[in-house]
Amino acid sequence: MSDAGRIWRMSQRVRNRQLYGIRLKIMLPILILFLPGMAWGFSDPDIMLPGGHQPSTPMEVLFYASLGVVFGATMCAVLLSFDGVSRDRSSGMLELRLAQPMPRKHQATALILGYWQSIAIPVYGLMVLCLVVVRYRMNDWPSLTEMLVYFVSTGLILLWYTLFALIASTSAKEQGTAIAFGIGVWFFFTFLWALVTTMVAYASGVAVGEANDPSWVALEGALDLLSPNGVYHHLLETQLPTVDRGVASWQVWLGALIWTVFPWWVLHRRMEGLVP
Amino acid sequence: MAEPLLSFRNAEHRHQISSPTFTRPWNKRSGPGVVGLNLDLYAGSVLGLVGPNGAGKTTLLRMMAGILPLQEGEVTARFSSTELKPVGDLRQWVGHMPEQVRWQGNQSVREALEAIGDMRNTPNKRIDGLLDLVGLRNRKDERLDNLSQGMRQRLSIATALLGSPKVLLLDEPFNGLDPVAAEAFTHLVRRLANKGVAVVISSHMVAHLDQLIDRIALLHRGQLLDEGNLNEVESRLNLSNRYQIKGKGNVEVHSLLSDIEHEFLEFNQDDQSWTYVFRGAPKEVLKKLMDSCQVTSWSPIAPNLVELLCATTGLEPEDISLEVGSSAMLPMRTERGGEDE
Repeated sequence: MSDAGRIWRMSQRVRNRQLYGIRLKIMLPILILFLPGMAWGFSDPDIMLPGGHQPSTPMEVLFYASLGVVFGATMCAVLLSFDGVSRDRSSGMLELRLAQPMPRKHQATALILGYWQSIAIPVYGLMVLCLVVVRYRMNDWPSLTEMLVYFVSTGLILLWYTLFALIASTSAKEQGTAIAFGIGVWFFFTFLWALVTTMVAYASGVAVGEANDPSWVALEGALDLLSPNGVYHHLLETQLPTVDRGVASWQVWLGALIWTVFPWWVLHRRMEGLVP
Repeated sequence: MAEPLLSFRNAEHRHQISSPTFTRPWNKRSGPGVVGLNLDLYAGSVLGLVGPNGAGKTTLLRMMAGILPLQEGEVTARFSSTELKPVGDLRQWVGHMPEQVRWQGNQSVREALEAIGDMRNTPNKRIDGLLDLVGLRNRKDERLDNLSQGMRQRLSIATALLGSPKVLLLDEPFNGLDPVAAEAFTHLVRRLANKGVAVVISSHMVAHLDQLIDRIALLHRGQLLDEGNLNEVESRLNLSNRYQIKGKGNVEVHSLLSDIEHEFLEFNQDDQSWTYVFRGAPKEVLKKLMDSCQVTSWSPIAPNLVELLCATTGLEPEDISLEVGSSAMLPMRTERGGEDE
């Protein structure tokens, strides 16, 4: 079997264990509520959002419904993979795996792909359902490019949180630390990042929360590149012509690349030096 | 003796332990581990790695398994050539059975073995053979959660044998095995050794190893104290040729045996019985005692781990066996010839 074949086989085993495990069964109702549920709500023809805005295109609805990905799917990604390494370490399986002639980087890649697939597959399934819901409610489909960006960017944000959780798991000697680290990172970027943005704006003399103030919009746009959730929204906004936060598409995709490559590299490094 | 299959020279691995200071909270320093190790493994030979808890047995096995890198020293092997050559990655040639693997989950025994087998490119046919070998064929569809401790141990042995290793490392393999399984395991190890596999077994129980090993390596505080054929080591440590005779009644053993050349070691007398421990001339001593009083039993004395360690270190048993935590942290030799903590 080739190296790629071995990585794929190992990732399949990880994926299947998680897909048919009890955790996903517990999380599935949350994902259903957050993904198709939000798509249903935001595609309501009578909906009026704060500020008097009304989503008028399928992509706008998907953009607003992406809050479900940020709040629900990323949390599920963390909860599926927070003990991806630490559980094997405590059970002795890690020592057994590290003693096999498969390079550690390949093992790390298999773990990443396996845990990522275990959350991406149900989320992608529910996203297809979102598209059907939007079509049903608005009698229109998003364009192929919009769908592609929606799926790719969602896949990326799930990958980032999977990577964060696995990195945490390599450091943790027991499950409590791993979950605290994984959920802590999720909580920071999901709930506390707005506070960081506000503090930086205040310190820079920018009027906080003024949606019509170009300097606030530009600052918020730039700071969002430092957060995975912010980059995710930037990616989706590339398909919303009415939104311009002063960040070019190439900068957004570069940000996405860095958020992918850097934690991936960190995890590989950690796996190389891992002691059972 | 034949050429070694695998050879370690001045091998060292010391664990990095946290040592935070006010200015450097992430500070680490070298802690216990294995230092200055010179050890050869031979094809077809079974080496017993013995030492108290915290001696460095598991660390050494992990170094041999390629899990922990050598920080100092070098390792050479004759796996694919006729002469010893430096080898970078041992894992392809070494099968490792960790001390405790808690196999758990909904996977079947066969699936679990296949998962590890994939990492070694082991064909499925070989997996069936291994399940036969370790006596798990009838349990191959059993869920891991339903396995007993002994069966889990057998599964760990099977994983160590995946890929037909040239060196087999077994960390406390007798834990959890019932006497019948332990006996079967002993035969299995001997069979593998006869096929040319170099086997290393770590244990803190010398009694289990007595019938199995060809050579013994004594490890204490991360250092190899002595190594060689069991009889040679016993003889070097002055622990060979010892006997114990037990009998009934009150006997003046010393005066009875005064004309026989032997070394007195110990004598215990209570109301009804006595025990005499000595070295040398067992036939003469036994004959004399049997002629003069009632002898109930006679046996040679095999040294146990504590005796071996006491003999090599010069320490008292309580210093070795009761202070595991501190002994593992005691100063270790450095290359500079001094000691550090």
